[in-house]
Amino acid sequence: MITNIMIHAILPELIISFGLVLSMLLIAWQRSQRMIQFLTLFILICALVANIPLFDMDVTQVTSLIKVDTYSAFTFMLIGLSGVVVTLLSGQYLRTKTEVHDEYYLLLQLVILGASILVVSDHFASLFLGFELLSIALVGLVGYIREDKYSVETGFKYLILSASASSFMLLGIAFIYSQTGDLSFVYHTGIVSGELLSADLPTGNVPQQSVVLLVGSLLFFIGIAFKLSLVPFHFWTPDVYQGSSTPVTMILATISKVAMFTVLMKYWFSWLSYSEAGLLDHDNFIKLLSVVAMLSMVFGNSLALMQTNIKRLLGYSSVAHMGYLLIVLMVTSSQSINFAWQSALFYLAAYVLASLSIFTVLIVYSSQRSSGSDKLTSSSTDDDICIADLNGLFWRNKTLACLVILSVLSLAGIPLTMGFIGKFYLLTVATQSELWWLIGALIIGSGIGLFYYLRIIFALFTTEAAESSVNEKNKKLELRLTSHLFIIVLAVVGLFFGIFPDMITRFIGTL
Amino acid sequence: MMLTIVMLGLIAAGGLGWYFESVKAQSARWIALFSILGLATFFIVSVISSGADYSELNVLVRVPWISAFNIEYALAIDYLSIILLSLTFFLALICVLVSWEEIQTNAGFYYFNLLAAIAGIIGVFCAVDLFLFFFFWEVMLLPMTAIIAIWGHENRHFAAIKFFIFTQVSSLLMLVSIIAMAYIHYDQTGLISFFYQDWLLLDIPLEKARYIMLGFFIAFAVKLPSVPVHSWLPDAHTQAPTAGSVLLAGVLLKTGAYGLIRFVIFLFPQASQEFAPIAMVLAVVSILYGAKMAFAQEDFKRLVAYSSISHMGFVMLALFAFNTLAYQGAVITLVAHGLSSAALFALAGMIYNRIHSRNLKDMGGFWHSAPRMGGFALAFAGAAFGLPGLANFVGEFLSLVGAYQVAPVFVILAAFGLIGSAVYGMMLFQTSFQGPPTTVVKDLSGRELLIVGSLFMLLLVFGLYPNAVLQYVQGVQL
Repeated sequence: MITNIMIHAILPELIISFGLVLSMLLIAWQRSQRMIQFLTLFILICALVANIPLFDMDVTQVTSLIKVDTYSAFTFMLIGLSGVVVTLLSGQYLRTKTEVHDEYYLLLQLVILGASILVVSDHFASLFLGFELLSIALVGLVGYIREDKYSVETGFKYLILSASASSFMLLGIAFIYSQTGDLSFVYHTGIVSGELLSADLPTGNVPQQSVVLLVGSLLFFIGIAFKLSLVPFHFWTPDVYQGSSTPVTMILATISKVAMFTVLMKYWFSWLSYSEAGLLDHDNFIKLLSVVAMLSMVFGNSLALMQTNIKRLLGYSSVAHMGYLLIVLMVTSSQSINFAWQSALFYLAAYVLASLSIFTVLIVYSSQRSSGSDKLTSSSTDDDICIADLNGLFWRNKTLACLVILSVLSLAGIPLTMGFIGKFYLLTVATQSELWWLIGALIIGSGIGLFYYLRIIFALFTTEAAESSVNEKNKKLELRLTSHLFIIVLAVVGLFFGIFPDMITRFIGTL
Repeated sequence: MMLTIVMLGLIAAGGLGWYFESVKAQSARWIALFSILGLATFFIVSVISSGADYSELNVLVRVPWISAFNIEYALAIDYLSIILLSLTFFLALICVLVSWEEIQTNAGFYYFNLLAAIAGIIGVFCAVDLFLFFFFWEVMLLPMTAIIAIWGHENRHFAAIKFFIFTQVSSLLMLVSIIAMAYIHYDQTGLISFFYQDWLLLDIPLEKARYIMLGFFIAFAVKLPSVPVHSWLPDAHTQAPTAGSVLLAGVLLKTGAYGLIRFVIFLFPQASQEFAPIAMVLAVVSILYGAKMAFAQEDFKRLVAYSSISHMGFVMLALFAFNTLAYQGAVITLVAHGLSSAALFALAGMIYNRIHSRNLKDMGGFWHSAPRMGGFALAFAGAAFGLPGLANFVGEFLSLVGAYQVAPVFVILAAFGLIGSAVYGMMLFQTSFQGPPTTVVKDLSGRELLIVGSLFMLLLVFGLYPNAVLQYVQGVQL
């Protein structure tokens, strides 16, 4: 039976669903890009406001499908805020294209709805629903700009790989279901499942049971690993990052990653308590995860080294970041789970903010560039920003350059930024659980990472480019007041939370 | 509070200078100069007037910062910090004076970076919360990298990246050690703490202490630098602008030594004593290798850079001798090397301004046209190879005497480094100032005379009256 409290708990999702209907009505009534953008913003802000009380609410189970807690409220906040930023920037981005793009915002809302269902899901059915909503809407977004030279390639690549990932995941879920007889996450943890298993099956069969369960979980993990672009499922990342329009890349880097990682953690920590009950030995799985994590850290960073296109570079760097994040899954004792959650959420917040910042710069910069030069030369390639394009940016526009520096430093995990505190959290988790190999990989990965992060920063300061190339590069880059303000806000927020991380830990609880 | 004010003041002055440079050219250097002068005076006056006893760590401020980890903003100073802070202030002034004419492009941003780096270094010397220490450790790195990468010489990006990565990777190891220590504190007391004086009370199991100490040691050995992690230093020094080199050699290397003293030797006495033979081998290798490499260089700044490696080897040797005399020698060497290497780099900058080359082959016979510069060059080369009467002699002498009581073999080997330093010191002087005159160079200007003159005076004062420093580090028990 649905009570008022339950309604309250899923109000953000309800608002977005209702908003979707309203948006469709609006499109039927009048096609206006500006109106639908405002409506999307309005819906998201309403959902975010409805999300605020959830921080103080107890854990609420809404049917067996959905569980709302502080952690999911926090991730919803991240998703919603990223959504707001993407909406704001999409407006600026789409203005440079012809046509009216109502459907774009519809797809965007669908992505956010999918992501928000994912983070509250507590059941494989709701998980799959969210997963598919997110994926299918993203396929639409990835190939959205039809006249773009990459759009077909990118769209297809994402569609096919995403579909196969979903089918792997579905198979995994089926395997898990065949063993547990239930689709909810929590069911594993309950005594009921233990009784069920041990009652139904003689004890001798248990090892065999765990193998199927293990394979199922492995397949499930593959589905998620694809979305998180962990090594060896990372091959699509750079191409899709480069090929999609920048606001969509932003969604891939923030909303999709946050939602996927959250749901992975939700499942994983339920599973952990399952194995604690002695029904499953998951040491091998942890070893496998560690290998995946280490490979992601090292490969992601190494592959990013030689990239010249910033979006490709960020794609590879996201591989490494997801690798770092996997560290929190290695927590073995149930006492540390809360701390693992906090670490992961803080790191995600830092990562999201840094990604939002740097993609904002890319969007603002490319739209500025295309409006500055004549339209013919920069029709399809204004999304391709290379590191060399940023040469001397610091001397032309300090605000923009400062935001780049801040976000890159945050990704590299240097103090004064949130990224550093995030890395500090991860190192603390790793030290606590004595994961020395992972720490080693993290340090090596960060060391390699510094090469390309510093390359971006140094490019900002080069002075040669300004002298040699066209005089267009020499002039100061002027921004519109709104973009200027927006960029300042992002930079200040990043710096503030980097110096006073307590403001965020207050949301996600302390030790 | 006073050091907080000093650091904030430096940052604020940097921002102010950056802004005013765009309003009126060349105002940034005046702002930098006066802010450092003012804040240094403020620091000295408040230390003297407080009348506190600084032979123990004196906690100045302690407020919560990140409550999730019980991290505090805690600053404390003792005589060691005060000596190094004074050195920092003095060399900061030298840095501004050295950059006076050299930096013409983007001067506002340059002075901002310079002041920010100095603020970070000051933080390193007085932070006693280890998280805060790490924070400053990294913060001083960023502006320093910017100085090398933006205003450096031809190969600056490579040098800056190398410098940054070496320090960053090693400092991550230190961060892991810091976290591990905090958790040892948690296990023993039930509270997480990053506070240095809490850690001193801990009883750390030796097998853990060994590894944790190693994390700290590597980070500081990179900064010091010691062989085999020294290779960033010659590049960074060579490519950095003059003030960058002065700051690097004069103060940044000292943060490594300071870290060794405070966070390795005092925090892990037993583990570091066990480790001492290895550290001493590294030290002796650094001394000999640095001297040998210095002799082989053709680049003026590279030569001085390798000589720094050699000299810092003496510091490491002395510190790991666990002997009061050697410890005093190490502290004197820190000050003396800070002054003498800063002076040599300043000279290199002055020569570069005149002939636009750092190559010794392009030099020669400067004595004929610039006798005053030659005189000072001779004096500083003399200081570098430990001429009695100058501070370096006292430092190296005490270090060797102290260490001899513990490890005579190492000291005998290390003493060969002194011969090496005489060889490269004389070579440096002879190839640049003696021989047939190649070019006519201007002699020192008033500003340059002020720089080298003040550095020389201090070297002489500490050389003739080392008690000026020694009296403050006498009672230290190792």
